[in-house]
Amino acid sequence: MIKRSFFALSKPGLTCDLLEPDPEAPQKIDVPALLTLLLPEPLDGSRDVLIQKGDPVKKGQKLQLYEDSIDYAVSPVSGTIKSIDTFTADDFSGLRTRIAIEKDTQATDQIEYPEMKHELSFAARHLNHLPGAPPFARLARTEVPVNSLIIMVSDTDLLTTTSQYMGTVHAATLQKGVQILKQITKVPKIYLVLPDRLQDRVRFDSMTLLPARLEYPETLPAMIMKNHLDKILPAGKTPEEMGICYIRAEAVVSLARAFETNAPVFEKCITLIDKTGTRHRVEAVIGTPLGQIFSQLGIQINELDRVVIGGPMQGFATFTPHHPVTPDMDTILVQDRKTITPLSDNNCVNCGKCIQVCPADIPVNLLVRFLQAAQYEAAADKCDLESCIDCGLCAYVCTAHIALSQYIRLGKHELQKLRTDV
Amino acid sequence: MNNTKLTVSHAPFWHDGDSLFKKNLNFILALLPAAIFGILQFGAPALGVLALSLSSAMLWEQIINMISKKPSTIGDLDSALIGLLFGMMLPAVIPWWVVVVGTFVAVFMGKMIFGGTGANPFNPALLGMAVLMLAWNMFFDFNTAYVNYEFSFTALAPLAAVKFQGAATELFPLNDLFMGKEVGAIGATFSLGLIIGGIYLILRGYIRWELSVSFIAGILVTAFLFYMASPQKYAGPWFHLFSGYTMLGAFFLITESASSPVQRIPMFIYGFLAGFMIILMRNIGTYADGTILAILLVNVVNPLLDNIRPTALGKDMSNA
Repeated sequence: MIKRSFFALSKPGLTCDLLEPDPEAPQKIDVPALLTLLLPEPLDGSRDVLIQKGDPVKKGQKLQLYEDSIDYAVSPVSGTIKSIDTFTADDFSGLRTRIAIEKDTQATDQIEYPEMKHELSFAARHLNHLPGAPPFARLARTEVPVNSLIIMVSDTDLLTTTSQYMGTVHAATLQKGVQILKQITKVPKIYLVLPDRLQDRVRFDSMTLLPARLEYPETLPAMIMKNHLDKILPAGKTPEEMGICYIRAEAVVSLARAFETNAPVFEKCITLIDKTGTRHRVEAVIGTPLGQIFSQLGIQINELDRVVIGGPMQGFATFTPHHPVTPDMDTILVQDRKTITPLSDNNCVNCGKCIQVCPADIPVNLLVRFLQAAQYEAAADKCDLESCIDCGLCAYVCTAHIALSQYIRLGKHELQKLRTDV
Repeated sequence: MNNTKLTVSHAPFWHDGDSLFKKNLNFILALLPAAIFGILQFGAPALGVLALSLSSAMLWEQIINMISKKPSTIGDLDSALIGLLFGMMLPAVIPWWVVVVGTFVAVFMGKMIFGGTGANPFNPALLGMAVLMLAWNMFFDFNTAYVNYEFSFTALAPLAAVKFQGAATELFPLNDLFMGKEVGAIGATFSLGLIIGGIYLILRGYIRWELSVSFIAGILVTAFLFYMASPQKYAGPWFHLFSGYTMLGAFFLITESASSPVQRIPMFIYGFLAGFMIILMRNIGTYADGTILAILLVNVVNPLLDNIRPTALGKDMSNA
């Protein structure tokens, strides 16, 4: 953890980690006997589900809940479905469906995979589950035509180097993937965000490079838009609504591999930071419970430790070490209970540190007063609630230890609910 | 690992390690040079006043917490800081009950009824002082307070002497004022110590230089204008800067975070306005030193001033 410097006239300098020279290949995690797949779609008790407990599944088989479901998972192993139940991963992302699959060690057969097509509808139906979570389903559904694709060879959060690793070590595969991506999406402009300090290590031909500075939060999508594309993200809008789509380097690499082998890819590269701050790079099959990774690396998880999925500024804390590896999981951060800073229900003391660090120029000191009083509409109208880009810096520096990011996230969530009710 | 209970909370999962306790502790540390100088200058009574003020302020907060069935909050040292600041604004010879009543007003009326630390619209220590000065003005006449003391310098409170007795400012050499050789409150006379403490806090990022600098600018500019208009009638800017509560105000009173703005331009306006008001009160008001009332007055303007702020990301529709 980076502590406040003794002299604090300037902003805190949080810098994203740079990929080490000559990065080691990731350590492979064994495929466990029981895998868990997460579907974003919740179970609907009134409808019949296509898959049932006890059904046999084959490697590469597409699993979806209903005929008209858009979301699906693809089984990385052959075996039997052990259970299907509801799962809450994160407070605000709603209910999900969890499918547990018991691996059949004897079975070696895998499903005949359809011939790869350079079509968006095909990609949305068959390639959306790839490691790195390519946004094909979203692209296929979007009402706003996407005019810029931005491939992220830089990581958005601190500590992690997954995207940098996948983008630089597999640069050649990435370039092949970009060609496929061009044919699939037919997006006119493709950019590649590369940390400025990596530019002499890797070459990408015939692509527009956007050199990203590693100072957090310069690596966040909204800041990249602002600094490189000269587009200001309007308050309350997502980059997709502006016709800009971000895609991880790993997703592009997985895409190229899937086309190369005409088979789905399941191996997800993850940066894991243990309690001592040591970084491990692992490769685990999607659906592997985190506990399997911890035991293979010899990381002991004790009562009241914190397991964070995603980086220290933007991730979320999971309640269970059984949480599976998902296609978008770049980082796992394990914190000892002793290093966890307690939050408080203090009032804002108006020290102004949040104002100094906020990249979106939000009056956080006023905003938090509205949010604490549950005045969400006033917070949006008067204090720019929707301009927040969720960088988490305000809560990082808060002297009063107020859970500012949580208040803001809750505020946005409640505001959306209020608006849909109307 | 099967049923391990994990800690779940919202991002971010890092913190820069700062806390209210550290902030207030640093304030208290920064006040110590001036406070110790006051004890050396005014003797054991000064120590008594400071100790009583600090402890009674903490005690009041604890009692109010107990009555309102709230968890104890004195651990963040906020009341300790209020008590210390309050004590430093008092003369060394003041009846004990005035101190206790003053800290009650400061902590209860200044802070706790608004919801505790951070919720105060006014600087609590100043509110306590203002009430005492209105209720028992006789205890704040620094000339009669130190009648039994023998000083090696002019034993007159500079501001009152110049204002009411028509004393020449030459009686108070700037050097003496700067080094604390003047009659005044326990912790407000030693300008050098207060400046050192203030610069320490600015460097540590606990107070904002914008407030202190604009406050001092407000004092100097306004006092200079008065002085230029009538040098016989009004004291010069440097005299004002190093006398009374000015230096304590510049670094410790105007910078109280909950009652001051956080955006840059509002901070400049706020500080300058306070300095301007002080000189107005000193030169044409009825009080010898207007610091306390002037800062309380600008406290009221604070919520309005913070509306002057940059446009948030994505709010400026002409660029969208």
